[in-house]
Amino acid sequence: MLTAAGVMLVLGTIFSGLLVVASRHLAVEVDPREAELAASLPGANCGNCGFPSCAQYAKAVASGRAGVNRCSVGGPPVAERLAALMGVEVAATYPFRPVIHCSATAEQRLLHGDYRGERTCAAAHVTGGVQGCTYGCLGFGDCVASCEYDAMILVDGLPQIDYEKCVGCGACVRACPRRIIEQIPFKADRMLVVGCANHDPGKVVRSVCQVGCIGCSLCARAEPQLFSIKDNLAVIDYDVVTGHEDLHAVHAKCPMESLVYFGKPEPQHEEQLAGVASPGIAGRPHPVEHGLDWRG
Amino acid sequence: MNWRTIFGLNVLPDFARGVHPPEHKSRTRDLPIETLTEPEVVTIPLLQHAGAAAECVAQPRQQVTAGELVGRRSASGISANVHASIAGVVQAVTAVPLPNGRRSLAVPIRRLAPGEDSNAVAPVADRLFGGVWAESDIAVARPLDILHAVADAGIVGMGGAAFPTDLKLRTTPERPIETLLVNGCECEPFLTADDRLMREYPAAVVTGARLAQKACGARQIVLAVENNKPEAAAALLAASGQFAGFRITVVSTKYPMGGERQLIPAVFRREVPTSGLPLDLGIAVINVATAAAIAGAVLRGQAMTHRIVTVTGGGVRSPKNLLVPIGTSFQTVIEGCGGVVTDARRVLAGGPMMGFTVTDLTAPVTKGTGGITVLSAAEIDSAEQTACIRCGRCLDTCPLGLAPTRIAHAVKFGDLALAQQNHLAACCECGCCAYECPARIPLVQYIRAGKVELAQSASE
Repeated sequence: MLTAAGVMLVLGTIFSGLLVVASRHLAVEVDPREAELAASLPGANCGNCGFPSCAQYAKAVASGRAGVNRCSVGGPPVAERLAALMGVEVAATYPFRPVIHCSATAEQRLLHGDYRGERTCAAAHVTGGVQGCTYGCLGFGDCVASCEYDAMILVDGLPQIDYEKCVGCGACVRACPRRIIEQIPFKADRMLVVGCANHDPGKVVRSVCQVGCIGCSLCARAEPQLFSIKDNLAVIDYDVVTGHEDLHAVHAKCPMESLVYFGKPEPQHEEQLAGVASPGIAGRPHPVEHGLDWRG
Repeated sequence: MNWRTIFGLNVLPDFARGVHPPEHKSRTRDLPIETLTEPEVVTIPLLQHAGAAAECVAQPRQQVTAGELVGRRSASGISANVHASIAGVVQAVTAVPLPNGRRSLAVPIRRLAPGEDSNAVAPVADRLFGGVWAESDIAVARPLDILHAVADAGIVGMGGAAFPTDLKLRTTPERPIETLLVNGCECEPFLTADDRLMREYPAAVVTGARLAQKACGARQIVLAVENNKPEAAAALLAASGQFAGFRITVVSTKYPMGGERQLIPAVFRREVPTSGLPLDLGIAVINVATAAAIAGAVLRGQAMTHRIVTVTGGGVRSPKNLLVPIGTSFQTVIEGCGGVVTDARRVLAGGPMMGFTVTDLTAPVTKGTGGITVLSAAEIDSAEQTACIRCGRCLDTCPLGLAPTRIAHAVKFGDLALAQQNHLAACCECGCCAYECPARIPLVQYIRAGKVELAQSASE
């Protein structure tokens, strides 16, 4: 009995000694800032910064591999906190928020088929027969279902985003099988967006959509620095856009009305909206009134 | 004599599971192949095959002859040439909807003088498939020349997958092709195009098969025909009787006998590995229509400009087996069959099991379009989808032995890893599961969506 206890005691002492030595010599050095950085992050683990988790991003920031302004959920406040911890300056940061490159409501999309398959975008995307346009929104709301923040609803077969609720996590971008949702830097409250993703020639676009971009390049001629036509489709360069230019003239010029504003409504519309009882879908408050030239 | 024969069981080669949908072939099986009057415009898609689209080589306003190259196969990877199917003037490149819901750039060609030349030259069918195939020509054809002729003619598998045939027949010393399996099953309900081809032009099929055999160095040819086409089997037997190493096998009629992973176990009693190819067993499988096209390409220099399309279903006025220039719109083809009846509801590219619904009838006939099925209201099952009751009928019918309901539900709830564990990628999308499903769950659509998601997540 005593022998056994003695053996255990000796063994325990030896091993604890070994552990002490090992912990001294094999210790992993952790940047003390890393824990602080991680604590400053929102902890949503959304992956939108390009790292699998907030902790990984914090590690990357601490080691200088990633900038401080990549957290879209936290936005500028978090970027400032990270910058303070790291002792660097924040370049101007803008919240990256999703916009939808399709502005056609269900009625504006032509050549509807008698689609009887599964009512999800992912399933409808692999078959023909929903609508003529093979680029645009299918309107079954995979993005709406993917939104963890209740920031999206479907109106007239088109998702609309509540930017008050949206944190820019990018779940909708990943959910869209047609890849028509893009995160753009919101440099102003309202951003002009090409509401079309159709790369076909204008004639073909007209046959499938009432509001599709036909690549006429009127916008590119009016604002050559901002707009370009790539593969029959107008593209806005958001690196060049400052958010302060007045693009209403270009917006009005588009013959197909495929340029749309995303973001906060304009003041006059806000007044208009104040009186409108929100229609609401499935009991959720509905932030917009359609028929206006903005969505969001 | 094997044990099946001894016990008087099922003497015809067969595979496990599968379904027996109503055949509906009687509408067109006894109608000879007709040739569609040359349409005014054809729109030749640059992507009609598996792989990358061809590169356009035709200039607008250029005058082309039938069979002239308009799209050269893309240098990168799998691709195939495309050719003008009628003589005419090239228009500006446009985009056309493809039956599978995608779009492709396409070269429209407007016919020159209406109807002028269509009667002057020999009928297209004779030019492509008819007449005598001289034995001396077959004897002098060398394997590499055959492969080049097949590649130049833009021949792709006409059974549906549209895989470039020259790539399929190309062998390497490590993996030689022992057996050429020519697939004349045509298990898809409604369709009779291959049946008519085998009955009317058996010599073309046999000649093409022999050329393909030469090209790939196979020792034997097995031509499989379902037992619902006795006339075709008899015609082929008569045309191939004198050749050694050429066997006609009659297999039992069952869907999807025409799938290579079903036909090979049925004929050779060997399974194709799930992640492998028939080539792993030393077998190459080509369709009978592909074989006929090979004969035309090698011995007569005919590019792949036409194909036989069965236009059928209760929604079309006069069903036909039509020889159609590739690029003809569905609209034109259906009009060539007297148009649709008043209660026509749905147009399918292909048959009802594997076909795609087409909403835009400007879609062109491509190399892979074996049929156009117009369903009437009475032929469409309008039952609503209900919940899965876990009856397991999809498991009982899946010819590949998969669990379709598990895969479909995994895809539905976004668990691609689970779907892959259940062999999502192995599914051949034959549709047996969805056909049998009492809850009317579109299982194949889920699986197809899952495959697309898988490809997207792999590329990102």
